[in-house]
Amino acid sequence: MKLKLDLQKCIVAGECYYNHPRIIGRDDESGCPEVLVQDLQTDDDIREAHEAAEVCPAQAITVED
Amino acid sequence: MSALEEMLKYAIDPREFDDPEFQKDPFPLYERLREHHPIFHDRFHNRWVISRYWDIDAVFQDSEAYTRGVYKPGGDYEFGKRHVFGPNILEYGVGDEHRFMRNVVAGQFVGRKLDAFLPFIDLIAHELVDNFKEKGEVDLVSEFSNQFPIRVISNMLGLPREDEDMFVGWYQALIAGLGFGGEHLVRGLAARNEMWDYIEPLINQREKDPKDDLLSALVHAELGGRRQTMEEIKGFVALLLAAGGDTTDKAISNMWYHMMYTRPDQFADVKENPDLWTNVFTEMMRYDPVVHAQFRRTTKEIKLYNEVIPERDGVIIYLGAGNRDPRVFKDPDTFDIHRDDLHMGRENRSGRYKDGKPGHLGFGIGQHFCMGYAMARQEAIIGSTLLANSLKNFRPKFAEHEGITSPSIDSGGFRSPAELWVEFDVD
Repeated sequence: MKLKLDLQKCIVAGECYYNHPRIIGRDDESGCPEVLVQDLQTDDDIREAHEAAEVCPAQAITVED
Repeated sequence: MSALEEMLKYAIDPREFDDPEFQKDPFPLYERLREHHPIFHDRFHNRWVISRYWDIDAVFQDSEAYTRGVYKPGGDYEFGKRHVFGPNILEYGVGDEHRFMRNVVAGQFVGRKLDAFLPFIDLIAHELVDNFKEKGEVDLVSEFSNQFPIRVISNMLGLPREDEDMFVGWYQALIAGLGFGGEHLVRGLAARNEMWDYIEPLINQREKDPKDDLLSALVHAELGGRRQTMEEIKGFVALLLAAGGDTTDKAISNMWYHMMYTRPDQFADVKENPDLWTNVFTEMMRYDPVVHAQFRRTTKEIKLYNEVIPERDGVIIYLGAGNRDPRVFKDPDTFDIHRDDLHMGRENRSGRYKDGKPGHLGFGIGQHFCMGYAMARQEAIIGSTLLANSLKNFRPKFAEHEGITSPSIDSGGFRSPAELWVEFDVD
């Protein structure tokens, strides 16, 4: 499974990287998120990716098969 | 002016922070701090003071170096034992525990959960306005803003509506205690204990029979198989009164103070275009927000300008000062709902916006960004729009007003007008 981030939709809310810093990082200048773990291998990866998608207020994060 | 005279002119006596004049008008001292002492070592209060916008942003962003977690010097902090609210989320610094507790509740205050609650927020606003709309005059502080957010919270928690007045009473006592201390604090703590006694059986009941309310969510949330204890849930409810009730209450009063006294000319614009309430809210949060000060503690040595802050020292950041930083905002001391150098829309936890404009600092940024930000904004805008639409020829009752003040800026005392009498036409 893969974690996808749509930067067009992203409003730079920051919820993803504050909640899941292990899989999503932050560009310090712009505040934009950066995907750190794209290939979701472990159960924790998958659970965190789904949670990150859930807390995103802009629906910019999706988990794809 | 000689260099020495120049230095003395801008010197700061730390006792100025305790001066009543500072509580009323902190901005001249903020300016001296910002322009001449961007990092000020206050040896009298044993803390470092930070006041420029981007320095405050940097403190907020780096929650590893500047923690909000509390501890007892020289030993472990006994969690929840010293705090007025009991054990609560703000006592956690960083880490999974804070993240977990935050997420349990944050979800209740944004997005679909909030949207579903909006009609109810609207209903409560209507009930309050109906109480005074035939009277021709009202003190907006006691009859509206002081009642509105706390009644909303009471209902979000799922408390019976017939107990709402009681809940408002406990809230007012506790808030007066936090603000004014002394005998007020004794009464405030008694009210808190009464509220705790009242809510305990409700918590037990939600344990057995969960409902679709915030109290049930608090009871049933689990982290690593552990639920919150009774003490933690009660601590959270107490915190909600201040963090979720008092702040929004005062935000609404401040917005209306500025419309009545600071910019009556712009109130005319808002009446014509109610969409501008969002700008009134945002500019209020910049110009003179409810919360002016935040505390942090360093977890390592930090170099800033030509000073070195040692590890485990206290740092106070004045959001109220950063919001008036001329490096960031043009004419920072002018309240202007039409300013084009402030992000006017919804706030972000990241403190960054796609329109490239800086935001106000009034909700904080990062780890401890206000989790009720969206709800506070919605309540303030719904309530203000309703007031402006339902009451004709809305105007201040008195030509003069003593202005916005705070019992104590440094102890987190929230800023607001003590009362705000207005008049309106009745058919």
